[in-house]
Amino acid sequence: MGGQNVQLIVDGKRLDGRKPDEMRNIRIEAGVIPEADGSAFIEWGGNKIICGVYGPRECIPRHGANPYKATVKCRYMMSPFASLDEHGRSGPSRRSNELSKVIREVFENLIIAEKFPNTQIDIFIDVLQAEGGTRTASVTAAAVALVNAGIPMKDMVSAVASGKAGDVLLVDLGKEEDNFGQSDMPIAMSHSDKNIQLLQMDGLLTKDEIAQMLDQVEKGCDELNEKQADALKRFYERGEEEKFEW
Amino acid sequence: MDIKDTIMSHVRRDVMNSSLEKGVRFDGRKFEEFRPIEIQRGPIRTAEGSAIAKVGNTTVLAACKFDAVTPFPDRPEEGVFMVNSELLPTASPTFETGPPDENSIELARVVDRAIRSAEIVDVKSFFIEKGKVLGLFVDLYVLNHAGNMTDAATMAATAALMDTKLPKIENSAIIRGEYTGMLNPKSIPVSTTFVKVGENWLVDPTRDEERVQETSVTISTTEEHVCTMQKRQGYLTKAELLDNIDIAFKRGNDIRRILKG
Amino acid sequence: MEKRIVLPGERIADGRINAPNTYYRENGTYTAVIGTLDNENRFVPLETAYKPFVGDTVIGMVLDVRHAGYEVDLNLPEGGFIPTRDTKITLQLGDFVYCKIKSVNEVGDVDLGEVRRLPKGKIIEFPTSKVPRLIGRKSSMINMLKERAGGEIMVGNNGYVWISEKSDIPLLLKAIGIIRAKAHKSGLTDEIARLLER
Repeated sequence: MGGQNVQLIVDGKRLDGRKPDEMRNIRIEAGVIPEADGSAFIEWGGNKIICGVYGPRECIPRHGANPYKATVKCRYMMSPFASLDEHGRSGPSRRSNELSKVIREVFENLIIAEKFPNTQIDIFIDVLQAEGGTRTASVTAAAVALVNAGIPMKDMVSAVASGKAGDVLLVDLGKEEDNFGQSDMPIAMSHSDKNIQLLQMDGLLTKDEIAQMLDQVEKGCDELNEKQADALKRFYERGEEEKFEW
Repeated sequence: MDIKDTIMSHVRRDVMNSSLEKGVRFDGRKFEEFRPIEIQRGPIRTAEGSAIAKVGNTTVLAACKFDAVTPFPDRPEEGVFMVNSELLPTASPTFETGPPDENSIELARVVDRAIRSAEIVDVKSFFIEKGKVLGLFVDLYVLNHAGNMTDAATMAATAALMDTKLPKIENSAIIRGEYTGMLNPKSIPVSTTFVKVGENWLVDPTRDEERVQETSVTISTTEEHVCTMQKRQGYLTKAELLDNIDIAFKRGNDIRRILKG
Repeated sequence: MEKRIVLPGERIADGRINAPNTYYRENGTYTAVIGTLDNENRFVPLETAYKPFVGDTVIGMVLDVRHAGYEVDLNLPEGGFIPTRDTKITLQLGDFVYCKIKSVNEVGDVDLGEVRRLPKGKIIEFPTSKVPRLIGRKSSMINMLKERAGGEIMVGNNGYVWISEKSDIPLLLKAIGIIRAKAHKSGLTDEIARLLER
């Protein structure tokens, strides 16, 4: 953090020409994996992520089943070709394990798991192409996939990061802003009650800055919720399979 | 593997047999016909080359990525070429998390052999300096499994190689995002998978057909040669193999036209 | 009738109304799944996950033959069981059966009765939330399918559908595919009728 040698804000504009409170281009598609119970694809700037949801299905191992509610499981993974740098390793890493956990904890709050005791609900997330902000894009896509699967949820949820670079507060950090900025605060917010469902932060911020950033995130999440609803409506309204570009 | 798939239900098998006797596949195809094929080129911008192949609803993404690596000790002057595959649990209720299982490894190796035998990647040109060569890694991601992953994977891999740009190298390191040209594969290998259900051979099986298959064999061809074959379960006669090779050449030419765009 | 698609977390009534796929909080009833809402605030879910209920008819496959009975796959997290003492017919591994749910215990094990073995036929998996549309009002849709395609069709509430080998299976698969994709749309019955007429 704090690598001040990279000029991230020039004349009030960001490296990719965005205004501080402007999000990248976002496209969401629902039902992209016919074999899955529910699925979604999100293209968020240079991020491309697929999410597949399965369940409620038999809990494996069986002794891990909870007699009071469904067990929510989440696996977030980065493909070896997701970054412009070298070919990565496939399989879980320390980072992907942590992200799987914090994403799972979002949906543990929102899924009405008591309806399906002794079962499990699987959320699989694969990052095909990454450009900063994959965890927030993943949460946004997973919510669409869960709705597509008919998993009962109390509320919709979406996520976006807020951050600080060149002493300016920004929403939806890109890769450079994430790597070289002063602070990064990814947040997931449920739609109708605006509760914070995911919160991480690094770098240094004052309380006032955090309050302002929360407002920015709330605005961003409202925008995302519209895109989620639009993706689902398009899926159910078109009725038949329609071609789309991955 | 799903327990339901290990018990081959005679109910599923018998109805398919009697339908095939009448010459009818459940999706209305002829026995030698592929499902509709779609190729999307270059969906992954972080890789040097990529493609998505869709055969019916079976969807496979292939991404090609270069790295500077140490050569194998027995071939110090040659680059490295490697194919890996991931049967993502995202893509099918029958895929599980964890390290690649035998099906995943077989898939990668069959695609690998088709490309290697067709000699479309010239690993000798991948030499950088003593102790350093280019490695080309092809990752196959199955995005939806609706039967016949192998043919879709071979198509995706070939289309991705046709899309692959050669990286610029300076001071024996790869300059990311800068390229010196295209990989330009010399020929295009195409695989055709056949399954035998009852007395009938079907091309491009669906998951339903794979569930009741007695024999499964993949034949990959270039314009003039067979470049790899893989028999899985079951057996076949000499005459059946030779007949299927004829069909594989015919289908290969059809698909090559699609791949050339 | 005006219908709009609503997502989980939409308030559809003040106070508590007893409707499946909704939940209650803060003096209001909210949707828990995606569905359509008409101008009289009637909520019809588009996607739900099925839970077995006593009295439902289901289709399953015999997974295991044991002394006390047969273990049956219902394509659900819950496993089905046919106690030997309750049935006169002998079943084999891989048989498909059509039966009624007799009881569901607290860990989700489902006891089955009134068992009929299904003969050779095409088995497909259909989304459970759309089963009512496949059957139609007073069985209108399923009767039309049977009539026009010339064979028996059995639908389990758990989503397994069995189609007799006597019927035109490719045509039926096409029709069922359309019902699956357009389950919530109006004009579906006419579209299926037109398809089957050809």
